[in-house]
Amino acid sequence: MRCFLLLSLLVFLTACTAPDDVTHRLFVTNEADGTVTVIDSRSLEVVKTVEVGSRPRCIGFSPDRRLVYVALGNDNAIGVVDTRSLELVNTIPAGSDPEAFAVHPNGTIYLSNEDDALATALNPATGEILAEIPVGIEPEGVQVSPDGKLVVVTSESTNMVHMISVPGHEVVDNILVAARPREVTFTSDGKTAYVTCEVGGEVVKLDVEQRKVVDNLRMRREIRRVKPKGILLSHDEKTLYVSTGRGNSIVTLDPSTLEIQKVIPVGRRVWGIALSRDGKRLFSANGLDNNVSVVDTEKLEEVRKIPVGGRPWGVVIDD
Amino acid sequence: MHRSIPAWITCGALLLALAGSSTAAEKVTILFVGAEAGPAWKGAEQGIIEANILGRFTGQGYELKRSSASAVPKGAAAVIVAAGGPAAAGISDRVDGAVVNVTDGSDSLRKRCRANLFHTIPSDRMRADALAQWRRNSESQNNHVRAWHPDFVKFAARDLNNRYRKTHGEAMDDEAWAAWAAVKTITEAVTRGQTTDPIAIARYLREELEFDGQKGAPHSFRDTGQLRQPLLIVEDGKLVAEAPVRGVADPDDLDTLGLAACP
Repeated sequence: MRCFLLLSLLVFLTACTAPDDVTHRLFVTNEADGTVTVIDSRSLEVVKTVEVGSRPRCIGFSPDRRLVYVALGNDNAIGVVDTRSLELVNTIPAGSDPEAFAVHPNGTIYLSNEDDALATALNPATGEILAEIPVGIEPEGVQVSPDGKLVVVTSESTNMVHMISVPGHEVVDNILVAARPREVTFTSDGKTAYVTCEVGGEVVKLDVEQRKVVDNLRMRREIRRVKPKGILLSHDEKTLYVSTGRGNSIVTLDPSTLEIQKVIPVGRRVWGIALSRDGKRLFSANGLDNNVSVVDTEKLEEVRKIPVGGRPWGVVIDD
Repeated sequence: MHRSIPAWITCGALLLALAGSSTAAEKVTILFVGAEAGPAWKGAEQGIIEANILGRFTGQGYELKRSSASAVPKGAAAVIVAAGGPAAAGISDRVDGAVVNVTDGSDSLRKRCRANLFHTIPSDRMRADALAQWRRNSESQNNHVRAWHPDFVKFAARDLNNRYRKTHGEAMDDEAWAAWAAVKTITEAVTRGQTTDPIAIARYLREELEFDGQKGAPHSFRDTGQLRQPLLIVEDGKLVAEAPVRGVADPDDLDTLGLAACP
């Protein structure tokens, strides 16, 4: 009984102290500069600009958030930045032209090799390439299902969502979607996935178990020059946020009906988006404006712009 | 003595047949009329390589076969013509499926508005309109218009240029792009239209195609058979802009370039 109490106390303490353990930092890749801009998510001030390598695009955390990984397309590598010291601590060879990736809860990095029509499974601790999986042309968006049993990769020029089994690393299905699929997000139950299709101007809803398209929203009529790219769900999963590229806006959708709720103007060629832990702030990387927009998700409006480096691509937050 | 075939045998045979059909690739033949060593042939070859990456997942095997203009065999999914407008028009009279002209820019060919004749190479008037838009802002007269450019990087054009260079060891030009686009649009029709029937392919191209030509905006075919597409402005040897030219025309309105509809 005493043991149980002690354990409970420990769990309680851990739960309480978790927020203190975070760095309250935003990390933004600047594709043109070879840098990552680090921003304090509370003061919204730039803390540091870290040189990482050539053509940084996708960015994501290790499961413990001690490290942030950056795909360095021209260096054929993943750069590793310590989220505390803000130093580049490692550069791991990652096959040809890595563009996007997702980190599995077990630590494996699944990445797309854009010019090689491959998805690669990389162990960042040892640098070992665990698997190279042939997919379609110009593979891009990568996402891991919440249960970790599935990795999905989009191929931009083959217009497909490839479903790859974990740990088997077999392609188990390929779903044809609209032109130039770029990014995927899952619901927390893993049953539904949403895909942005950039040239098709669509958001596509997939039934993951049935492995088929169940709904799609064509946005081109409503939003001029729309090129959907970034996509994520609010924490209550009642709102879907989509960045619209040259539509220069963030769109909120009803995830069940895919109806457009609100179009929020931000900066030019908006791609990467990230949501704060409390869900009240959404951040967007505005590629042609060299800044990051801060969106108030209750007022549904942009409240701030933060200057960053050249051609910002992706953004993640540890708060 | 006649005995009916037990149900489980029928079932088993059916299952085997189904299993067989899902593993054996369905062959899709695209004919090519024109010189084998030219850029159009090489562009079509690049398209076939990419089609077969897609086909690996969807169960088709694509092949490119040369044919003479005078004896185009029946049964091909579509015909790509890199032998001039008269040859393309002549073939479109003799086959039911899609004939795609990838080299001839003459506007008279577009004005014919044949149901099965398509053009992925821009028309002369599209180029002239693009140049006129550009010259409203530019002093220099040393400029011209391209369908494609090896220095083009936006909209993943960089990736297509790299793929082409890797395959052929040379830069992709207009005709290579047009022939690549011809194969890719036919592939789209086969995959999305779920058909290898030449007439159905031609119908899909005309009515439903939304094609990612790696130039940004989705491309579709006009009633004239011309592929709507952004064009590239080259000035003093450098790639300087895309048309429709921003500030002069609506960059989304691809119909500001060339004859928008049948006369």
